[in-house]
Amino acid sequence: MIQEVKTFTKSLDWILIMLVGILPVIGLAVLYSASFDPDIEHRFFFWSFNSHLVFRQLNYFLISLVFMFIVASIPPRLSYRFAHVAYASALLLLLSVLVYGTISNGSRRWLHLGFINLQPSELMKVGVILALARYLSRVPPKDGLYTCKELFMPACIVLLPMLVILRQPDLGTALSIGAIGASMILFIGVKRSVLFGLSIFSTIGGAVGWLWFLHPYQKKRILTMFNPEADPRGSGYQIIQSKIAVGSGELFGKGYLEGSQTRLEFIPERTTDFIFSVFAEEWGFLGSMVILGLYLLLLFRLLTQSTKAKEYFGVLVTVGVVGMIFFHVFVNLGMVVGFLPVVGLPLPLMSYGGSSLMTTFFSIGLALSVTAQRSVFSYR
Amino acid sequence: MYSSYEKIPIQLPQRIYVFLLALLCAFFLIAARLWYLQVIKGGSFAEQSKNNRQRTVSVPPARGIIRDRNQVPLATNRPAFNIQMYLQEVTEVDATIEHLADILDVSPDDLHHQLHKQGGPRFRPRVLVRDATREQVERVLSRRLSLPGISVSHYPIRFYNEASLAAHVIGHIREINKAELIQPDFRGYYQRGDVIGKYGLEDTWELYLQGRRGRNSFLVNAHSVKIQDLSDQTKAIPGNILQLTIDRDIQQAADRALSGKSGAIVALVPQTGEILALSSAPNFDPNIFTGELTKAQWEALSQGKERKLSNRAVQSVYPPASLFKTFLGVAGLEEGLITKKTTEYCPGYHTVGDRTFRCHKHDGHGAVNLEMALSVSCDVFFYILGQRLGIDRIHEYGSKFGLGKATGLELVQEASGLIPSTEWKQKRYAGTPESRWFPGETPSVAIGQGATSATPLQLAVAMSALVNGGTIYRPYLVQGVYSHDGKTEKDSFRPKMLSQLNVEKKHLMQVQNALKSVVHGKRGTGKLAQLPKEWNISVGGKTGTSQVVSLHSKTEKREHEHHALFAAFAPSEAPEIVVVAVIEHGGSGGIAAAPVVRQVLEAFFVKSRALSVPPAVRHPEDVNT
Repeated sequence: MIQEVKTFTKSLDWILIMLVGILPVIGLAVLYSASFDPDIEHRFFFWSFNSHLVFRQLNYFLISLVFMFIVASIPPRLSYRFAHVAYASALLLLLSVLVYGTISNGSRRWLHLGFINLQPSELMKVGVILALARYLSRVPPKDGLYTCKELFMPACIVLLPMLVILRQPDLGTALSIGAIGASMILFIGVKRSVLFGLSIFSTIGGAVGWLWFLHPYQKKRILTMFNPEADPRGSGYQIIQSKIAVGSGELFGKGYLEGSQTRLEFIPERTTDFIFSVFAEEWGFLGSMVILGLYLLLLFRLLTQSTKAKEYFGVLVTVGVVGMIFFHVFVNLGMVVGFLPVVGLPLPLMSYGGSSLMTTFFSIGLALSVTAQRSVFSYR
Repeated sequence: MYSSYEKIPIQLPQRIYVFLLALLCAFFLIAARLWYLQVIKGGSFAEQSKNNRQRTVSVPPARGIIRDRNQVPLATNRPAFNIQMYLQEVTEVDATIEHLADILDVSPDDLHHQLHKQGGPRFRPRVLVRDATREQVERVLSRRLSLPGISVSHYPIRFYNEASLAAHVIGHIREINKAELIQPDFRGYYQRGDVIGKYGLEDTWELYLQGRRGRNSFLVNAHSVKIQDLSDQTKAIPGNILQLTIDRDIQQAADRALSGKSGAIVALVPQTGEILALSSAPNFDPNIFTGELTKAQWEALSQGKERKLSNRAVQSVYPPASLFKTFLGVAGLEEGLITKKTTEYCPGYHTVGDRTFRCHKHDGHGAVNLEMALSVSCDVFFYILGQRLGIDRIHEYGSKFGLGKATGLELVQEASGLIPSTEWKQKRYAGTPESRWFPGETPSVAIGQGATSATPLQLAVAMSALVNGGTIYRPYLVQGVYSHDGKTEKDSFRPKMLSQLNVEKKHLMQVQNALKSVVHGKRGTGKLAQLPKEWNISVGGKTGTSQVVSLHSKTEKREHEHHALFAAFAPSEAPEIVVVAVIEHGGSGGIAAAPVVRQVLEAFFVKSRALSVPPAVRHPEDVNT
């Protein structure tokens, strides 16, 4: 038994674990700066801390870490077997949110289950990864590339939860699920005609969505992105202030805890969606390159290690995880530097918040599980 | 079932490279954008982030103090309180205003009106109640917790310690208007809400009184809440102190003497031109201009028949009437047309051609010399003298005494008055048969009627020249300008001679002595100007009763009543003060104006010689003073 555990732990991708561990630690330091409040003082041995959030986030981090190892130890065979169950129950929870969920910031996203506050849309991401990986690995395209017909089921798997999440409404999460699906399907490959048709369809779909589905606040955000100065006190405020914060960091940054945009509360959502503005203001271009490099390394590592997976299912799960993390990082940074609309997606591993952290670690755990070696738990 | 699950049907490495490339491209995009924002545009964003958090508020200076010659404050500053609202801290503006209106017991509409009147950036507070009462401030402060975003600010506001005292001299301030804000000389200095002098010394000395604005820079957070002061602070420098030539006590005596009447009093130091008192009635309380003036209030002040804002001492002209005989006497002596012994017979009338001019004493004064003619104010004596002098010599002497042109007092737009001449008439009636001067017009001018007119101040300056040996001084009101702490004298003003009469002193003395008999002579017309006998101070003076309408159209109406004039100097041998009083529609100068002058003279000597007015000689009209 001990030997089995040893083999398992040894076979874990520790480089990936280190990369995935270092980002939240940096995140904690940035969070401390972002939530610094001289009126608050926590004593911890000789140190005093002027923030509540850091301790809570540290808790989330540690719990998530444990979760990751637990998930990593689940054999892929089991994930495969229960993938559709996970998907169905996540979808059920998602539907119940529409009925029982609590409203915050104008949308219904949270489910209060007595002891824990759950965001089923986060669970749904994992559910979609698993279910899609299962379906795609079971029903590969007949001649190597997917045709329109063959894509019907995968599209349903992706679009169903997307529509439900759009009803909450939560555009960011819905899009991230779309991104997960797209990356997995594209990884296998689709016919050119399908790609062409899809691009036409999405253009029409975009127009329809703009006319009937997008909320005025979402439209405003998209319009504001193109011209934030048109409404500097209203919806353009976040973008302008974030750009000022990032830009004023210049090459070397203003120094830790010295970011005036942050300290004086000019950056909205500075502990969550805009945490990167805080970092970029205090650490400058060079610091930002370090963070960018770490994310890139993390995603590279995930992708390159997926080849070690013994099963196609495992590769697809990893691709889904990469798609999800990449989409979050790209959209979040794009929003912070002002070339994508403010859709309200957190920066994985760095933004404050338990749900996002948990989902990320959970999915990293899945990726770890497909490459880990087991003798006892292996189905063989 | 697990078959497809186990085998990997595509060329994995190739797919992964495509994905890696895509990732790289996406991250390169972000990195390039960061390079653009942080390195290329970094400097400008750094500047923006500085401006973001730095606010500079200018601190209005306290207005300079105006005090009298003995440093008694006349215009100072008092603390005023504004109740204001920070829009950014108020979530429910309407509810807050309802609540505040309830607390202050005012109408919510008024507060809304005030709020919507003000624009500008949201971090700037909106003043809801300007210059709130102490009670209002206390009510707000005690309910502070239920009124988030409402605060009380304080600032200095102009305060006129003596209310209406010398109101026409000191003038008043007003909030600067839009047109003035864009005036080139004002731009950059004044801001909306600032006050500027609009009248009187407040206006003419604005540049000295305004002081210098201070700057206060501080850091704010995104909610515009002040976090800390920055080192870039400049203190506001209060305006300079203006020390006047006015003596508060004499001014008060003059104001009181005029109370309930309309008219003007000017008191000068004859040897310097310093104005000891300058009073115009009816007057106003300049304090009402520091608050919000309603339209009705403003119209009552500016347009009413009483013309409260008009400074009658320098802006109104009156026929000098018999006062003018004084200067005519000097002209007659100087021109050798009469000596002090020359007598004329007054039958009570005088005829020129087919016109008859009446003396005010219809049965005549009999034989009168110059002294007697002045003392009893015989018209006939001066009809004859005037005719001998001719209109142009009358004009010449009148002008020598400074009549017919502004005295140069820097206060308000001055009226210049008029001494007619042939030249004037030619210009005035050019091209009409009226343009020629008719000898029959001269007698009216000789007794200071007809077109002749002068301001009370001009008459005081002329009278001063008579008794100071023949110098016309420019009258002035400001003795010195001191820095706000009173330590350094920035400017001082010496008496300024404008011209000399170039008349023999002997002749001036003869007229001066003759004027003593107006007050102290047996038949003198100005006996009511006599000072208490115990003081042993003699007074010289001349009465004047100027017709408002021609005698035959005169009715009992008040506005047809004569203006009463009296000009005096005391002590008569070596005058220290000259006082001129005009009481509009007061009737006879000797009866209506002389006692008024006496009250001012009394105040002067009570102060300068530490005398007191014996109760026994109190005149009945003193009772209300």
